[in-house]
Amino acid sequence: MLIFLIVFGPFILAGASYMIGKKNENCRDLFVIGATAAELMLSLLLFYAMPSYRIAAFMTEDGLSFTTDGFRAVYAVITAFMWAGTTLFAKEYFSKERENLNRYWFFTLLTLGATEGVMLSGDLMTAFLFFEILSFTSFTWVIHEESPEAVRAGYTYLFIAVIGGLVLFMGLALLKYSAGTLSFDALREAVRVSADQQLILPAGICILFGFGCKAGMFPVHVWLPKAHPVAPSPASALLSGILTKVGVYGILMISCTALMGNGIFALSVLLPGVITMALGAVLALFSVNLKRTLACSSMSQIGFILTGTGMMLILSSGGNREGTGIALAGLTLHMVNHSLIKLTLFMAAGVVMMNLRVLTLDEIRGYGRNKPFLMTAFALGALGISGVPLFNGYLSKTLLHEGIVEGIHCIKGYGCLFSVIEWIFLISGGLTFAYMLKLFICIFVQRNRDERVQQSYERDRKCMNKPSCAAVFGSSLLMIILGQPFVSIRLIRHMTGFEEIMDFRAFTAENLKGAFISLAIGAFVYLTVVRRVLMKDGSYVDLRPEKLDLEELVYRPLITRYLPSIMGKAAYVFGENRILKPLSGICLKAAIVVTRILEGLTDGCILLLRKTVMRERKVKCGEETEPGFLIRLSTVLAAGAGQLFSNFSFAMMMTCIGIIIVLCYIQIFF
Amino acid sequence: MISPYFLLIPILLPIAGGFSLLFLRLPGDADKKRNLYLETIVLITSILVWTAVLFVRREAVQIISLSGKFSIGFRPDGLSCLFAGMVSLMWPLVMLYAFEYMEEAQKKNRFFAFYIMTYGVTLGLSFSYNVTTLYTFIEMLTLVTIPLVCHYGNHESMYAGRKYAAFTIGGTGFAFFAVVLTTVYGEGGLFIYGGSLHVSRMTPILQLAFLCGFFGFGVKAAVFPLHDWLPTASAAPTPVTALLHAVAVVNSGVFAVARLVYFTFGTEILSGTLSLNAALLTAEFTMVFAAAMALKQRHFKRRLAYSTVSNLSYMLFGILLLTPAGLTAGLLHMVFHGIIKMSLFLCAGAFMHVTGNEYIYQINGVGRRMPVIFSLYTLAGFSLVGIPLFCGFVSKWRLVNAGIEAGRAQSLSGVFALIISAFLCAMYILTVSVRAFFPVEGSDRYADRSDIKDPGRRMLIPIVFFGILNVLLGIRPGPLIGYIEKIAKGLL
Repeated sequence: MLIFLIVFGPFILAGASYMIGKKNENCRDLFVIGATAAELMLSLLLFYAMPSYRIAAFMTEDGLSFTTDGFRAVYAVITAFMWAGTTLFAKEYFSKERENLNRYWFFTLLTLGATEGVMLSGDLMTAFLFFEILSFTSFTWVIHEESPEAVRAGYTYLFIAVIGGLVLFMGLALLKYSAGTLSFDALREAVRVSADQQLILPAGICILFGFGCKAGMFPVHVWLPKAHPVAPSPASALLSGILTKVGVYGILMISCTALMGNGIFALSVLLPGVITMALGAVLALFSVNLKRTLACSSMSQIGFILTGTGMMLILSSGGNREGTGIALAGLTLHMVNHSLIKLTLFMAAGVVMMNLRVLTLDEIRGYGRNKPFLMTAFALGALGISGVPLFNGYLSKTLLHEGIVEGIHCIKGYGCLFSVIEWIFLISGGLTFAYMLKLFICIFVQRNRDERVQQSYERDRKCMNKPSCAAVFGSSLLMIILGQPFVSIRLIRHMTGFEEIMDFRAFTAENLKGAFISLAIGAFVYLTVVRRVLMKDGSYVDLRPEKLDLEELVYRPLITRYLPSIMGKAAYVFGENRILKPLSGICLKAAIVVTRILEGLTDGCILLLRKTVMRERKVKCGEETEPGFLIRLSTVLAAGAGQLFSNFSFAMMMTCIGIIIVLCYIQIFF
Repeated sequence: MISPYFLLIPILLPIAGGFSLLFLRLPGDADKKRNLYLETIVLITSILVWTAVLFVRREAVQIISLSGKFSIGFRPDGLSCLFAGMVSLMWPLVMLYAFEYMEEAQKKNRFFAFYIMTYGVTLGLSFSYNVTTLYTFIEMLTLVTIPLVCHYGNHESMYAGRKYAAFTIGGTGFAFFAVVLTTVYGEGGLFIYGGSLHVSRMTPILQLAFLCGFFGFGVKAAVFPLHDWLPTASAAPTPVTALLHAVAVVNSGVFAVARLVYFTFGTEILSGTLSLNAALLTAEFTMVFAAAMALKQRHFKRRLAYSTVSNLSYMLFGILLLTPAGLTAGLLHMVFHGIIKMSLFLCAGAFMHVTGNEYIYQINGVGRRMPVIFSLYTLAGFSLVGIPLFCGFVSKWRLVNAGIEAGRAQSLSGVFALIISAFLCAMYILTVSVRAFFPVEGSDRYADRSDIKDPGRRMLIPIVFFGILNVLLGIRPGPLIGYIEKIAKGLL
């Protein structure tokens, strides 16, 4: 019942909020805040009850099933918490525009329900159902502004979501066929005893791709850097903090059940993960737009998590239990951290956006001076994500790093590969520090190049009202709380059930060394690349290679241009030109020949008749002669029927004769 | 239990009713009388069909003996009940829609006369008990629908009519070969689950006959390369495109192929033959090809018509898998696609009727003015793409599963084709919704057109009904699937 309320409650409330919103907008805003708060309370109850729930015969014969465990409960709470936080903040964010808000809130609540549905799902089919729902409901966030960029980004988002959904669908069908079940509990055992082992891996890859689309995994990350900047900031926070995690959650679920210990699958998670991690960091460094930087950063952090997943799989296929546990611990903690960090950072970006309506670094430069709350929140977020010791990112990144180091030591033959990955990991971590430093210095330290603008920025001390301040600042405090090992290690134990984690010491020299290497790289990159290359004459330049856009270069032309033209060409060549036209030509020719023959036959018949029965007698001069019987009969007939009718009756008669001949033929010969 | 002779009443009633309307000489503006007359006939027929489905004995009756093994007769079995039941649910609703849609049209007597005659013919087709009867009714179906396609009488629709006639009559001519051979080789072409041919394997002549039958009946199911008439025929009034060219006529092609494969030739002798593979690959190609073509269309109804072509091949794919699971999936998709495509076409028709526009680029922003229509359009679109919670998902899930289960290379490639075509489907269907609801700033064509709004009740009722059915069957498809599974296993 509790799960039913958590998952389906928001769906009902969404309808109610739409109805209320039509009457009174203020009421609706309060109602939505109340709804998300209630959702948060309900999801907290999950810790005590740990219920599971089934709806039989829904959609497929297996119905829907929901279950709770430590991980699911924590994520259900985080989901509800993020919704509550952004809702609190959104009231002020949207105060200046009143258009389409009903739609926004309606779909936001729907997405909340769907996300909780995925998080609490007990089998893949349920997860898939809610995954698809949230794909489409969150589409309205991306397209909310309805500007040309938003619509374009919306299309990209939509189609990536659809293709992800369909590939996932395919994977589910394969898995269902080969394992016979989709329930998370039974899957591991079912896969082990399955008769169709060769289908498991394709199924896994399809499912990875499907969830990867939502997670923003390379090469289907293209929607992410486009969609996040154009969405309203509260929605960006959710897109980045939760919706990408839904994808990761799916990958994690399938990794921990069906494909645990599959080496090839492990590599196919690890390598895209590493690429995503590095690519996202580089893109973020080059970006000159606040939200775009944060979006690329999300992508990079997802890469960190996927790298951790890959390492976990590899270690488990190598039979290293402790290493598996450490990697799992690192990646779950990083998921939690990243959700909360991005909540803070995107809301901080939202504060900038709602006051200035621009996000380009040059224009917002210096805005944050004299705004202590905003500065603290942003700084905490930045410290957290960069992995500075004592803040939350440090712990999770250290664990992830530990996992990779474990891989170097334990897996024979691939040590070199893992060393490379370790360095990419450290450098990406450094780049994270570099781009966060770039943002922070730009907004909060440097002065705007236009002195008048700077003064107007500094005059405007009050950049947000109290509820928004509570949301932004309150969420940022979590960075410190989760940065304390005794809190986060307990959290990990609760989520993963991995007991040995209690022995983990966070601040050993070895671990601190890794963090400091990263930070040193970051500082170096900031001082050299950002200051020297990316800033020309004191302003930030956009060096992002526009041409190298995977979407514009490959995906769009492939689908909109090449596929239809190839198909059309094929149709033209094989269908209309090579088959239909000759065929109809042959038919016509044959028809002409047949009719000619028949025509000749009738002529022949008439001739024959004239020569024999209906021969004209030679009339002797002066003598009246009786005409023949047949000639008399035909005159009578012809006189009896009119011209038109006789033609018609003749045709009818011929038809009848034809049918009779055909029937006789059939009767006799078969 | 009622004697099967009862079947003649629902078959002949609409035919007679439509025929007499041609001679009733109702004045063109006697809308109320005509509507009452038509709706009464259609409703009575539907009730009779359901009575027949539920209560008529599952026996064959021979009505006319033509010669030797050739005869005309009827028998209600599971498959025919499914098809007749589906059609009889849809007809009264679309009649309602047609009344409003055709309000301004000319020559309504002729239109509606042929429109309900089609109903009788479709029922005759579904209850037929051997290939000869099936063939006769399929030809009749072509003849009674030609005046409907040409209804507007302008250049475009006359061309469409000619093309339609040439393709369907010419194509069905091929099927005649199959009809004669199957009648001669077996029990007079009777439909018996598992096949009625007295042969142990497919001889080359039988293979040729199968291919002729497949492509001949397949013309109605718009198999590549004989699909071209369907998009052209979208020049007809929307009630015709919706009910006939998305459901009744085209599904009768699928129905005939199902009869041919499972009830005449039988899966046993067909499996693994060259002709079957050729048919299967054609269907697979048509799926992707038609979806790609749909993406290129700018005309709203034409795009939907291409989408129908693609979806008909899904059904054929399911049927040609030759497994009970495949037949279940194919028939399920036949029913669900009927529901979905009906919604889509009726929405498209409502849009065209209200605004007078018919191209995709003219849709920008209309969703705000016609929220109900376009919400339902979007839901049906989701269903067509195969999003869970809607019925399209269920049939697609079954199709994919059946394809994987069949396990041959041809069927796996079909699954692949299905996924690609579903993706293309999302592109061509959902772009319309996005345009309708989220116009790019400044491209909203209907921002100051307050005269544009959702159409009247008679148009809305059918659309809403199909929308509800769409979700309802998506959530609880169990009973229907159970029924179809029984058909597919030959138990009904």
